[in-house]
Amino acid sequence: MSFLQRNNVHISGAGQQTIVFAHGFGCDQNMWRLFVAALSGRYRTVLFDLVGSGNSDLSLYDYDKYGSLHGYADDVLEIVAGCAKKPVIYIGHSVSAMIGMLAAIKAPELFAANIMIGPSPSFINDGDYVGGFDQSDIEELLSTLDNNYLGWSSNMAPAIMGAPDQPELSTELTNSFCRTDPDIARHFAHVTFLADHRPDLAQVSTPTLIVQSNDDLLAPVAVGQYLHDAITGSTLAIVDNVGHCPHLSAPELCLEATEEFLRKLGL
Amino acid sequence: MDTSQRALVPIGDAFERAPCGLLTTATDGTILRVNATFCRWTGFDAIELLDERRIQDLLTMGGRVFHQTHWAPLLQMQRSVAEVKLEIRHRDGYKVPMLINAIRQSADSGEYDDFACMLVLDRHKYEQELLRVRNQARLALEEKSVAEDALRSADRRKDEFVATIAHELRNPLAPIQAAARLFSLQNFIDPRLSWSSRVLERQAKQLARLVDDLLDISRVAEGKLEIKVEHVDLVLIVRQAAEGSRGMVETAGHLFVVDLPTEALFVDADPGRILQIVENLLTNAAKYTPAGGTIQLSIDKDRQNAIIAVRDSGIGIASEDLPSIFGIFSQLSSGLTRSQGGLGIGLSLVRALTERHGGKVGIASEGPGKGSEFTVQLPLSPVQRANPEPTTISNCVFNGSSRVLIVDDNEDAALSLAMLLDIDGHEARTATNGAMALELVSSFRPDVIVIDIGLPDMSGHELARLVKQTPGGTDSLLVALTGRSQEQDRQAAAEAGFQHFITKPVDYDTFLGML
Repeated sequence: MSFLQRNNVHISGAGQQTIVFAHGFGCDQNMWRLFVAALSGRYRTVLFDLVGSGNSDLSLYDYDKYGSLHGYADDVLEIVAGCAKKPVIYIGHSVSAMIGMLAAIKAPELFAANIMIGPSPSFINDGDYVGGFDQSDIEELLSTLDNNYLGWSSNMAPAIMGAPDQPELSTELTNSFCRTDPDIARHFAHVTFLADHRPDLAQVSTPTLIVQSNDDLLAPVAVGQYLHDAITGSTLAIVDNVGHCPHLSAPELCLEATEEFLRKLGL
Repeated sequence: MDTSQRALVPIGDAFERAPCGLLTTATDGTILRVNATFCRWTGFDAIELLDERRIQDLLTMGGRVFHQTHWAPLLQMQRSVAEVKLEIRHRDGYKVPMLINAIRQSADSGEYDDFACMLVLDRHKYEQELLRVRNQARLALEEKSVAEDALRSADRRKDEFVATIAHELRNPLAPIQAAARLFSLQNFIDPRLSWSSRVLERQAKQLARLVDDLLDISRVAEGKLEIKVEHVDLVLIVRQAAEGSRGMVETAGHLFVVDLPTEALFVDADPGRILQIVENLLTNAAKYTPAGGTIQLSIDKDRQNAIIAVRDSGIGIASEDLPSIFGIFSQLSSGLTRSQGGLGIGLSLVRALTERHGGKVGIASEGPGKGSEFTVQLPLSPVQRANPEPTTISNCVFNGSSRVLIVDDNEDAALSLAMLLDIDGHEARTATNGAMALELVSSFRPDVIVIDIGLPDMSGHELARLVKQTPGGTDSLLVALTGRSQEQDRQAAAEAGFQHFITKPVDYDTFLGML
């Protein structure tokens, strides 16, 4: 099995340490552009698309394998083992933060650090635990996906307006950024938003940084705090940001927290 | 830009009353400017929105997640989003579907986002309907595929059932044929008895043929039809088939015209199967031609193929029946009754066997009552000369009697075979299980032991191994007898120590030849 094609893996940069970046639900590895630009001078960087997203091999989307985050975690282990000779720094956004955590629980020897941006172990409210959502909200999300993939599935790229002031972005318009097969998107949404990995948190042994926005609908501060309490020895960095993608909307703050964390670990 | 001479409403009014909702927000979504159209569509006063709410606050919960996971990153990365359909929560709680375009703008004071929102009530309903229908279609497809799977599995079970029936029918056929042969060797004084014995033998042979066809057709269905290709003269084989069928054709009162080339035509084919193809066609032609008709058999050739043609002056075929004539269980719907007999598999077997040889079948008829012509086209071998004669082991000439032990739990089959052998001057004994057989091996010291693979107390393979260790059996010739004749069965028999392998029902002449 070639994970390079399967996951559309891109390796660049140079350095003693390798950072593996994993994008969240909805988009693809392009999300990391700002981060990679800032870090690739000092680190080797590995970018990839989750199977079912971006330019991954959609034909390999196995509804059973990817019926839980463990299927993705197994892919991550293949990528990590195949792209680096020593333990890697893993930076995952949202659902991929959890995927990286599961991978590191399975093979802690492959991970030097796990940086979780906007993670949530469970999105669904459950008793005292406030994940932020109810089952009905997820159904509503699925219907919103249906509404939009109707037009997006086949001809999203030409429909997106150009960005004349940033011509370097224009190549992205023909990419599948934020677009995939509608059935896969539905399934991935189900798996992402109904996953509950709270019981796994106690098993984490990899040094962990949680980057938490102070105003994030998908991962409220209480969720970041919950993770911080549950993961022994973890570091919590709360950044001033509105929204679920602080690495895009507040990249400097996220980078600052990341680099300080890595410096303390001597990485 | 206003280039006309007419006086237009001030640009501010045009903004307020534009036929779409217009908003400007900070990059975090906080609404900084909104027009009257948007306010009217959503039921809010501008004052309730400005600096009070973010655009995402107006979305449904699912919409907000979509905003966070798709829209916001797109706007960030691409600085624009187009044709996103989201539902805005009206102040009174109900959802208002809107199609939204957004673009990120830079100004001296920083960045902000401009939105244009279009109400899409009818379009939304239409798209909902489209989605519902698409979903319905998907469910129907799933149901269809489940139904197809069920059909396939039922079909497979039917194939297995047909194969089992064919195997089971073979078992009683062996003793029936042997007994019929015993009768035919008697000189009955009563002519009715000698006629009966001929009927018995002929019909048993026909029954055996039908069962063989049935078995073959079940192999076709299971994809297990095997052929053993040799470099052979097609003309020779077809002539053999003609001679073998002459009795059958002429008994039915037909004129049988055989016109074969004088030179050899070499094909790479299984001679037994070619024989089967031609015999099936001739049987078919004789059956569907009223008494006193003409059956013609000929071989033609073109550059690449030999074409065997069987022409009859029979009942012919209506044009609508032509396409399905080679299909399995296909018998003519009209004009012909079941009284003609047959399983309706002869022609489908002809087609399967022909195609297995890389050839193709053809049918032509000018219509009911006008006869038919069946053709079988087989690729000619690139080598049009005989292979050098292989150094064959000279057929053991029968010189004296053999001691034969027959081990078969079907006592009728064992005894009838033993009686035939006795008549031909051999000494035969029977055993109906493995233990009995082993006892006989020591005392009887047989030259040949025929072992049925399925015995009640042990497998035939096991018995073969034990026989080889038993005094009196170490030098015996071992012949496996089985209802199945797949390659793996032969393989297993060879591994157990059998030197020969014959399938039920035993063809007595072949068996004698083996002795």
